[in-house]
Amino acid sequence: MKNSRRIFTGMAGALLAALTLSLGNTAMAQKQGGTMVMIVQPEPPTLASYLSTSGPIGQVAAKIYDGLLEYDTELKPQPSLAESWDVSPDGKTITFKIRQGVKFHDGEPLTAEDVKFSIMDVAKVTHPRGPNTFAAVTEVQTPDDHTVVLKLSEAAPYMMMAFSGYETPIIPKHIFGKGDLRTHPNANNPIGSGPFKFTEWKKGQYIRLDRNPDYWKKGQPYLDRIVARFIADPSTRTAALEKGEAHFAAMGAVPFNDAKKLAENPNLTVTTTGHEMISPVSELLLNTKNKPLDDKRVRQAIAYAMDRQFIIDNIWFGYGKPATGPMSSNFAPSGLYTANVKNYQVPNGVELANNLLDEAGYKKDADGVRFELMHDSLPYGQEWTRFGEYTQQALGKIGIKVTIRQEDVPRWLKRTYTDHDFDTTANYLYNLSDPVIGVHRAVHSSTIKPGTVFTNGSYWSDPKTDALLNRAKVEPDATKRAALYAEVLQFVAEEEPIVWIHEMNFPTVINNQYGDVIVSALGVYSNFDRAYKK
Amino acid sequence: MTGARLLRYLFWRLLQAVPVILGVTILCFLMLQLAPGDLAEVLAGESGGASPGYIEELRVRYGLDQPVLVQLWVYVKNVLMFDLGFSFRHNAGVTSLLLERLGPTLLLMGGTLLLSVGLGVLAGLFAAIWVRTWRDHAISLVAIVAYATPLFWVGLMLILVFSIWLDWFPTSGMENVVMFYEGWDWVVDVAHHLVLPVVTLSLFYMALYARLMRATMLEQRGLDYVTTARAKGLTESQITFGHVLRNALLPVITMAGVQVGGLLGGSVVVESVFAWPGLGQLAFEALFSRDFNLLLGIFFICACLVVAVNIVVDIIYVVLDPRIEMGE
Repeated sequence: MKNSRRIFTGMAGALLAALTLSLGNTAMAQKQGGTMVMIVQPEPPTLASYLSTSGPIGQVAAKIYDGLLEYDTELKPQPSLAESWDVSPDGKTITFKIRQGVKFHDGEPLTAEDVKFSIMDVAKVTHPRGPNTFAAVTEVQTPDDHTVVLKLSEAAPYMMMAFSGYETPIIPKHIFGKGDLRTHPNANNPIGSGPFKFTEWKKGQYIRLDRNPDYWKKGQPYLDRIVARFIADPSTRTAALEKGEAHFAAMGAVPFNDAKKLAENPNLTVTTTGHEMISPVSELLLNTKNKPLDDKRVRQAIAYAMDRQFIIDNIWFGYGKPATGPMSSNFAPSGLYTANVKNYQVPNGVELANNLLDEAGYKKDADGVRFELMHDSLPYGQEWTRFGEYTQQALGKIGIKVTIRQEDVPRWLKRTYTDHDFDTTANYLYNLSDPVIGVHRAVHSSTIKPGTVFTNGSYWSDPKTDALLNRAKVEPDATKRAALYAEVLQFVAEEEPIVWIHEMNFPTVINNQYGDVIVSALGVYSNFDRAYKK
Repeated sequence: MTGARLLRYLFWRLLQAVPVILGVTILCFLMLQLAPGDLAEVLAGESGGASPGYIEELRVRYGLDQPVLVQLWVYVKNVLMFDLGFSFRHNAGVTSLLLERLGPTLLLMGGTLLLSVGLGVLAGLFAAIWVRTWRDHAISLVAIVAYATPLFWVGLMLILVFSIWLDWFPTSGMENVVMFYEGWDWVVDVAHHLVLPVVTLSLFYMALYARLMRATMLEQRGLDYVTTARAKGLTESQITFGHVLRNALLPVITMAGVQVGGLLGGSVVVESVFAWPGLGQLAFEALFSRDFNLLLGIFFICACLVVAVNIVVDIIYVVLDPRIEMGE
């Protein structure tokens, strides 16, 4: 009858509503939609991450291009474009199975040919680190559209750590295979397979990335849009974050002194995770080819005179951890790091330094000065200017008179890495995902080439160091590799061609309205496909 | 003056402008060669390291291995054909890079000129009318403070007060990048973002024009023709607004014309603080990355702008004061 039918439909309707509601509540907390504004500092000159490893480029390009692998917070490889992979027992053959159905942003399918192109014609040729990282790859075979076989001349365990979308992007052969890669029109109009598509770039203002609706991870990305904004003034960046006009800032975008204030803001979260794949270590470079820095005792004295904790607390506002050598302690989980090296961070450092300098024959004159040095301040920010001033004071205490010289970036690069015309300067090198990629270049003699930058700035050329590093590069057994690195770390800590100061940490500021933004060791250099707006 | 005469005048002035602009460009080119380090090294450094062969290759590609005079000749030849070159760092043509930033720069400069000259003239006018009263002293004091305070501090304080505390204006940028307005909404959005930068840049110049206006007004007041006008029976306000004002404006207009060049330079600070995408910021970056093609392009455009503004100022003179003849 009518009444009972009404009741029945009414109850059915109510049941359905209740079911949907409960389903909706138990469904994922991630909601679709929203725009996230991230501050990138400074503005990248291009988006060609296959040509340049400049930080800001990677921060944006990593959302557009995919890599064969992803890495979790413990640096363990995870499938990305490669569904699975297999390494032969001798380490000389690596087979990747490429995911089916992946399309580039222009609709073309991603196949093994694109992977082969991205490794052989791009990474090995134009990428700054690629020729070194993929030096062992002699051939890439593509038996079918979704299988890639890498043939190596020798085992290269470190290479498996270099397949992120940031380090080795997979770029479309049908676009970048035509024309000159170094001046390609698509450098600033990138076409990748990643979760976000490039929409527009208003130079000096912003880069706009829109959601890729055909991304191979179903349902992701959750955000509709990511906008990278460029704001030159540090105080204005802080203002934009406070006001909620910008929602995310990482690496150099957040001024250290404002990080504490921003952490107290109830709408913001400040974190230091997400740098495990970068692991920057700061260096006070000593030109070991110049007197008196060619004397080990002088270098050790300088190392004793620098109070690393003071530097961290007062110049970097507490962000960082004292370094023990060129390798970051972020490698401790993989077993390659050891802290069992000569320790220069001791309470009686100044006394020991003075003794060493006396022993080396550099006595104090009537004014208390033993000898003079010039320090070239790293022109990458205010903190490094402070660092130069601190170095002047610290070395002054042990009788070394330091004069500070300030220059802009091109001048500094030329002086340090081409002309070799300096006494001391500062820099920081990324350790990256494997010591071979980031650590070796700090102390291996093969990287001393005029004009090659961010490498062995101290001109430390020692056969024992080279030999140990060369063996560690190809050693497939993890325990033996760890032992080799322990030996070389102890040796360079003893010789101290560079005074390693601290393992750098950058505050990352995230607006509380956004979740799952920093989810892996790559931090800001990951593709943000899991990020969502609450 | 007739239309034909104006056109002839314009034609001659523009013709005279060509060697001026060329001269400026050549001078700048030669000066830039003095800066050590070159684009190839910067690009290598920015890319995180590169082999020396790569850097040499870059140098050949950019023509940096040629002797300076050859490079200069090639550049001048291109400029005469309106080809401003290619910026290798940005991977884009210089002309397109400049045109993108020219609009926002003109907006900022235009707004600043209007506000600073307009309010400056008014402030100077009233200071002269109320001379030696407390109102005059108050205006002078405000002017001195505005003149002495550093631009970037003013900018940041304005952001703090009007953006963060009062939430009346956005902190920075030219448009809202979450909403991406279109059409008329976009125009309103840009205007909204324009307010704080224009006010910051204007304050300094406003002070300048106010003081100058006040001084010239007082000077004019003492001249014979004012006494004659009073004798004729004109009211004070007729004398001030009908006669003295026009004469007093001349030095202010001259100053404003000269300041246009300085405006472009001062705008670097404001553009930096407010993330306003103008030419000043572009020039600053181009210098530090030794992107000479881009830098020279900016100098070229600035030279053109300054010359154009000076021509306009000369024409305004004739409008304001018929005694001044349009020169040949």
